[in-house]
Order: sequence, then C-alpha cells, then structure tokens
Amino acid sequence: MTDDTRRTDGRGAAIDAEGVELTYADGTEAVKGIDLTVPEGEFFGFLGANGAGKTTTIKTFSTLLSPTAGSITVNGFDVRDEPRRVRETIGYMAQETSVDEELTARENIRFAARAYGVPKGERAERIDELLDLVDLADVGDKQAGEFSGGMKKRLDAATALVHDPPLVFLDEPTTGLDPKARNRLWEYFERINERGTTLFLTTQYLEEADQLCDRIAVIMGGEIVATGSPAELKRRVGGEILDVDVPAGEDARERAAEIAREGDVFDADADVAVTDDGISVTAERAREHGTDLLVALRDAGITVTGFNIRAPTLDDVFLAITGEELDSEERSADHDDVTGPEVTAE
Amino acid sequence: MSDISEDETVNETAQEARADGEHARATPSGNSFLSDFWVNFVRWNLKAVRNPFVVVGSLVQPIIFLVLFTQVFGQIATSALGGGAGDITYETFLLPAIAMQVSLAAAAGSGIGLVNDMEEGMFEKTLVMPMSRSAMFLGKTAAEILRIVVQIAIILALGAVLGANVATGFLGALGILGVGILFSLWFVALSNIMAIVTRDQESTIIGANLLQFPLLFVSTAFLPLNAMPDWIQVVATYNPITYGVDAARALMLDQDVMTVVEVTRFGGIWDTLVPAIAVLLALDLALGGAMVYLLNRASSSAVQ
Repeated sequence: MTDDTRRTDGRGAAIDAEGVELTYADGTEAVKGIDLTVPEGEFFGFLGANGAGKTTTIKTFSTLLSPTAGSITVNGFDVRDEPRRVRETIGYMAQETSVDEELTARENIRFAARAYGVPKGERAERIDELLDLVDLADVGDKQAGEFSGGMKKRLDAATALVHDPPLVFLDEPTTGLDPKARNRLWEYFERINERGTTLFLTTQYLEEADQLCDRIAVIMGGEIVATGSPAELKRRVGGEILDVDVPAGEDARERAAEIAREGDVFDADADVAVTDDGISVTAERAREHGTDLLVALRDAGITVTGFNIRAPTLDDVFLAITGEELDSEERSADHDDVTGPEVTAE
Repeated sequence: MSDISEDETVNETAQEARADGEHARATPSGNSFLSDFWVNFVRWNLKAVRNPFVVVGSLVQPIIFLVLFTQVFGQIATSALGGGAGDITYETFLLPAIAMQVSLAAAAGSGIGLVNDMEEGMFEKTLVMPMSRSAMFLGKTAAEILRIVVQIAIILALGAVLGANVATGFLGALGILGVGILFSLWFVALSNIMAIVTRDQESTIIGANLLQFPLLFVSTAFLPLNAMPDWIQVVATYNPITYGVDAARALMLDQDVMTVVEVTRFGGIWDTLVPAIAVLLALDLALGGAMVYLLNRASSSAVQ
C-alpha cells in the first residue's frame, strides 16, 4: 500500500475528533464532548474503567455509531459523509472475538481480503503472510471453531489487517486472554506499529497501556480527563511513593494517615491515602523523609509490618486523576470469568 | 431491497468528487455490488457445506413425514382422496406438500444464520467492512435459496423413487422449484424478523418451529380441504401454506386443486397458480418490506 491511501490534508492526523458527543436514545450520555487528535504512526491508548465510554468512542470513530454531536475525521474522511471511505482505510477488532467459526482460518482471512478488495493476485500471498504473522500457519486449514480463545483473537486480528490499513482500532483486544496469549498479541501489535500503522487501543489494563502506548488518554464518565505519554502522566503524579503496611484494626491506618498528614514530616502538598494494605504517601523526597515517618509511627504505637518506596505507576496516575482505583481483584475476577471457557481449546 | 444502505449513494457522489485522482487508493476499494454479493454468497455456501447438520436437519423431518405418512396413512388417505382429487396415490398427493415443508424448514435457517452472526460478532464485523449492505444480505439470501432448491430437488427425486409422478413433467418439476422459492421467501423474511427482534438463537428456532407445525396441519398439506372439519377449512383459507401447497400440487397433478378460493377465468391449473402466486407474492413483499426495514435499522449507525 502506498502513501496516497493515507490522506491527511497535510495534518498527518489519523484521527481528528472535535466535540464528539454520543447520547443513546434512552438518554444515557456515553460520550460527552471528546476532542482528540491522533497523529499517523502513533500507538495511542484509551484508558478507562468499564462503562467509561471507551467502546462507544471507538464505535463512533469506526462508523458503527453516528455521533450525536461533533465531527470526526478518520484518515481524512468524515465518518458521517464518507463512511465507506473510512471503512476502507481502517481495521477494526471488536471487544468480542469475531470470527466465523464454521470457516477455516484461511477462509476467514480470504473472506476479509475479498470484502476489503485486496486484488486477486495478491490475496494468496497476503493470506499466507498474515497466517504467518499471527502464528496460525500450521492450523490455517482448520475450522476456527476448534481454536482456543487466544488463537481466535489472533485470527480476528489478522482479518482486521488484511488490507494493510493505515489505522487499526483495537477494542480491549486482550480482555479474557491468559498472560502468555496476551504477551504474544502485544508483540504483534508492536510489530504492526513498527511498520507504520497507527494503532488506537482501548484497555482497562494499565500495564498494557504502559507497555505499548506512545500516548494515552484517560476517559472517565464519557470525558477525557488526562492525555499524555505514560512518562508524562507519571510525572504529573509527582514525587515518589511511600507505601507503608499497617495492620487493620483500632483505626491504626486512619491514625497513621493522620500522622503522615499532620506530623510535619512531608511538605504540605504531600498526598496521603489509606489503601488496602496500610497507607500510601505521594510526596517529593519521600525517600529522604520516609524514615522520619516510620519513627513517628513507632512513637505513636502503630505497628508497621512493611514499607516500600517506589516511582509512580500508571495505577497511581489513574487513582490520582479519576479518584478511582482500577480494582485489581475485580479485574482479575472478570478476567477469569472470560478466560475460563474461552481459552480452553475445544 | 436496494435501499438497505444509505451509504452507497453518498459514496458514489464522494467517489465522483474525488475523480481527480488525488485521493485514488492504491488498493482497489469500492468493490462492485456484484463482487460484494459474490463474497457473501460464497461465505454462506461454505457455511452450509461445513455444517451438514443444517442441510440434512431440514431434510430429515420432511422425509420422515413423507415415508411415515405414506406408509401409515397411505391406504386410508388414498381412499379419502377419492372424492376430490380423482384416482391419484397419496404419495403423489403428499409430495408437493412435503416439498413446501422442506422449503419452510430451510427458510427458517435464514434467521438462525443471521442471529448466529450477531452472536458471533460477525454481523458487526461485516458492518465495518466497506461492502454494500444490500449485496451482503442478498448474497446470504441467494445462498439460502440455492440450498432450498437443492433440497426440494432431492425430495422430488425421492418422491419419484417412492412412486410419485409429476403429471406436468420436467417443466412442472421446475415450476414446483419456482413455487418453492416464492413460498420460502415470506418465511425467510419472517425468520429474519424474529432474529432481529429477539437477537437470540433459541427464540428464533423455537419461534420458527412453533409456527411451522400447526400451520402445516391446518392447511391443505396433508389432506384435501373437504376432508377436514369446518374450522380448519376456515383457517386453511387464510393460511399461506395452503397457497404454496396448492400451487405445487396443481403442477404435480396437472389439475386445478385450489378449493379455498374458486377462480375460473384462467383455465386449468392456472386457476390455482395465478391466485396462489398472487397471494404468495403479496406476502413476500409485505414481510420482505418489514424485514428490510428492521434490518436497515439494525445495521444503521444511528443511535438507538
């Protein structure tokens, strides 16, 4: 594919969205005014909890839903006026694995190749190349219904790439996959991105966004609340983080938090939170003043069972920005639910 | 059905506007309607071949009916036919009805295929592909009609083996295939409507079966109208199955067999065929229109 498929009006933007709103007929405001520009070649992450509006946004970008307000240009084409041109220049991988289970892997890709108008002469080569890319070459002639969840996901990804689109939408592509299958899929995405393809990925896994994305937008309640590279966002949290493990009971954690806040140990803008394990202090020079806090806690008769000083992670960013924790237990429970039946080979 | 997608006209205009070549694509996009049709036709045929249960499944019950009814009721039924239908065997009388039963059972598969596509995510996936929506659906329907034709042909061949005889010959047998297609379309539409409304595979299957069986029995499928109680005669008059069966039977027997509506102006079997085909066409158009409307809505990007 040559560059003239990537019409950009000189702006070099794969996605240009302004004031996008989407309100469902029942009155639910899923997206409330999103402004977003994704330059060509970027690996862009859209991070948010369940129900934050990620899927609705990706559906408006990929012509599946027409925005109720605002404008969206994808690869230079307006999603409302030229939906078919948009469809020609994007790949889309839905949250739920979408493969035709009665067709073989090869037939699934061939169907997509024909549907996307890949010329007859190039089809066979392209199909082999894609089967190779997603490591399904040796099972190419098996019916997709026999595949494991991870294999189906990879096949799904291959069908979204068949026309070598300049922009690919990935809606929570690794939800429900075991870590091994997830890592493998990440490798493919990185490989595709290295070839110059713009990737727009939604995820609720911070680790995924951190590892893959050049830039991230955090969405909450249908609005973008922060945008930046993972490093920038982490810097925004500022300082270092001191986690102190305090056993629960007798208000020990609350008292510990009080001491950290009031005890004259840290600067006034230090952020203290009670966590599942004790307390967490985000402050400049937490490393230097950490011991002072531990001494103060001991003097107050509070038992400390452990402590750790670290740089902020995207988890902290998410917590700081949204005030919500992407609860890890809930997440892994969700995860297991989907994983169970899906990943087992049938 | 050509108005399934509002996108095509827009696209054509857009393509013309870009005829300067500035934005010509390297990979050929803008597949023709015919190639979009063909891609989907191939896909649905592959699926049918891959899933022999669907093909065989919709043949088994009618074949059981054909064999059992002729064996169990053959003696009694043939004498019951004596009055209205002349000296014909029950095999010959029953075969056109079984052909229509096959057509119904196969047509029910259309909605099941659609709902399965929705559940597998393939429906949405194809909506993101740059294909004509009408071509997509027509390709699918054409594959189903092909299946119906093959299945009716199998039933007619089987009937011939069992001793049934098509009085109008080879052309008449082709005519029965044609009636089968016309007869299947309203049920294709109905099963798709059920699929879109319920979006649930089991409901679609159960719905189709619940309709199919009673409707077959309260029609002229298994016995002539005058051999049935009055209330069934009334129901049969408004039952679409009567019109499909009567049209196929007229071709089978080379007789004007229709008694629910008496038409005499066309002569011979045309007194059955013309009103029957008119009724089926009207039904196809009405339900087809409703289906296109619902399908259009289901595949629209308008917020719902």
